Amino acid sequence: MRPEIVQAILLLGIVSYACRASGFFLMQYVAATPRVKAWLRSIPVALTGAIVAPLGFNGGPPEWLGFAATAILMRLTANEFLSAIGAVAVVALSRALLS
Amino acid sequence: MLPPPEPAALSPSPKPPFTLQGFRAGIVGARTLAPGVVMYGVAFGVMASTVGVSLLEAMALSGWVNAGGAQMAVLQAWSDPLPLLAVCLTVLTVNARYLLLGAALRPWFAGLPAWQSYPSLFVMGDANWALALREHAEGRDDAAFLLGSGTVLWFVWIGATAVGYIFGQALGDPRTFGIDFMLAAFFASMAIGLVRGTSDIAPLLTGMAAAIVIERTVPGPWYILGGALAGSLVGALRSSDAA
Repeated sequence: MRPEIVQAILLLGIVSYACRASGFFLMQYVAATPRVKAWLRSIPVALTGAIVAPLGFNGGPPEWLGFAATAILMRLTANEFLSAIGAVAVVALSRALLS
Repeated sequence: MLPPPEPAALSPSPKPPFTLQGFRAGIVGARTLAPGVVMYGVAFGVMASTVGVSLLEAMALSGWVNAGGAQMAVLQAWSDPLPLLAVCLTVLTVNARYLLLGAALRPWFAGLPAWQSYPSLFVMGDANWALALREHAEGRDDAAFLLGSGTVLWFVWIGATAVGYIFGQALGDPRTFGIDFMLAAFFASMAIGLVRGTSDIAPLLTGMAAAIVIERTVPGPWYILGGALAGSLVGALRSSDAA
């Protein structure tokens, strides 16, 4: 392991744990208002959308088919893992056929 | 006539049980979550092997950071040299939801001594947190359930990372098999699964639009943080409009 990577991993773990512990810790002082709760509740959906959107925007037909497969499989199975596996298969197939 | 409700905020928090029996119940309860954690861990290991992270580094990330979504997002930003501030903010953003998870545990865990509650928070993930709160809602209030379920899934997570990493290198070029799309597909399915009502659509679309604009104008992974902030603030503002 490279020393600068070890330092980075140590730091990332501390940040990760701080997120876990601070919500529990701070709740002894703070009463969350509806607006604060709505903000925190909106973060996961906004964040996952933010990760995915540029990948779709910058991708080509195989990636677009992959995202379409993800949406259809999510509708059918409501299972994130099955949908991701199915989408990977669709992308692999369309890359083989379209390139 | 019902008796008047207790003034809950003023009453001292009772100490919930925290026993070996509850720890064991957590291990048993985690069995249903293990297959999902294995697949996610393998996916992380495969991804890690494609961006220049070593096997030990990938296992250290899984063991010490112990947060799948954050680790996946860090891999998105992985480059040499590592943009340290950017990846820390990425972990902070991806794990911001843990603030709410931890906050929700407060009424149940408040009576525990810190040496029991804070180690439990280290192994708190979305899935075993939900499982533990369901146990609590059904009247089984042994607080060691979270630590038991989280600990077994922690070992599964690290092991699956190693398996995925070794298997991923044997696969060769991940593009041929679409493995590089695994991360995109996983987050797309997460985004779709997280839309639980019409109030989630505006934060999602704002986050996506802001991310596309920022990704094309600002170098590095800032688009994740920027999109998440823009989208979630829209969620907060719309909520106060409705209230």
